[in-house]
Amino acid sequence: MRGSPLLRAFIAFCLIALLGWPLWHLTRATQAVAEVTAPPQTEIKDIDLQLDFTAVPKSFAVRYLEKDLWTEPAPKSSMEHKLSLAFPDKGVDLVFHIEWPEDSPLCAVRARLTDPAGDTHEKTVWGQGTVDEVLTFP
Amino acid sequence: MPIKALLFFAMLAVARPGIAAEKIRVSSFSTVLTEIAEQVGGDRVQVTGHVKPGVDPHEFEPKPADLKTVSEAQLILVSAKHLESYVGKLKEATGTSASFVQVGDRFTSLKMKAEDGKQAGSVVEDPHWWHSIANMEKAVKIVRDELTKISPADEKTFAGNASAYLGKLDALQKWVKLEVAKLPRDQRKLVTSHDAFQYFAKENGFTIYAIEGISSEDQPSSKKVADIISVIKTQGVKAIFPESIENPKVLTEITRETGAKVGGELYADGLGEGPAGTYEGMYKSNVSTIVNALK
Repeated sequence: MRGSPLLRAFIAFCLIALLGWPLWHLTRATQAVAEVTAPPQTEIKDIDLQLDFTAVPKSFAVRYLEKDLWTEPAPKSSMEHKLSLAFPDKGVDLVFHIEWPEDSPLCAVRARLTDPAGDTHEKTVWGQGTVDEVLTFP
Repeated sequence: MPIKALLFFAMLAVARPGIAAEKIRVSSFSTVLTEIAEQVGGDRVQVTGHVKPGVDPHEFEPKPADLKTVSEAQLILVSAKHLESYVGKLKEATGTSASFVQVGDRFTSLKMKAEDGKQAGSVVEDPHWWHSIANMEKAVKIVRDELTKISPADEKTFAGNASAYLGKLDALQKWVKLEVAKLPRDQRKLVTSHDAFQYFAKENGFTIYAIEGISSEDQPSSKKVADIISVIKTQGVKAIFPESIENPKVLTEITRETGAKVGGELYADGLGEGPAGTYEGMYKSNVSTIVNALK
């Protein structure tokens, strides 16, 4: 092959660049970050919760995932409420925040939850004064 | 009178070193058991923690100075469940006749796949029992009873100290339940590179997916990486918790392909340093890291 060595080098560089660009394009690491696949959502349903207190508290709240589902500023000794929440097979952790009078003896509340399948689960919270307790259903 | 008083104080001054020397000498090979012995024994014990916070107990080997301390100890505490492979040699080398308590062997084991050593790949007892607060409570009672056997006169002191420490553990358990309740039960998926959190998972409703290989210096096979990516994607896991990041390329590939983030540092093998230097601090740090990453 004749011609200027500089010209030959330039042609060779151009050929490599032309071949290299699609190769780099095909093999480069993609910069797009995948989104986390959301886990399958459980349908929100009405769930019946019944509470029976041994002593009427000053106030109480039932929370789920840091949100109040049921609050009662003037509670009675026995109450019932329908909660709207997704109830996955693995169950739910409900947080009970109860404020009994400071001078009251050891108190308790019986929580009776009826899940979407119609099964009833019962749990008890014991305490004095202000209590924050997690009950897992089922 | 002043002479009598001087004599009394002089006798007291002579007696003090004697009282200090009577402290029960405890050797502990677990950072967690060191804390329990100190809390339960109070000023009646002199505890030597051979494994320091932040030291990997899987890698620890006793040195000659450790053997000397052990040979003089009245109570020796080991984590057990095969965590300390040197126990037999330790007994033989020191010739100790002290009470040698393998605490972890006194409660039920979960099983795990051995990651390295002669037993690699086989199913063995999971030694990380302290990630269960219920197990910690049992360990406190074991240490209390062992100290009482050595010094029955201090029974009330040990019982009172143990009761106070158990109260702290009870408060910690309540705090953990409230924190973990911030996560839906069907999203409690813990992807870790070191299979050390089974006891924690069982107690708090988590499912563990161990991703062995990404923290090792060896390049895991592309199939293994693909499997890990598949698990994270199908389970909708938001964060992964590699114990150490020695293989950043693989970790980057996993996080890029799945969108999962790196969740932060977990204390798997005992107490850490700084705020994680106590059991309560270590546990709270782990729970906060997990909950914040998976929320």
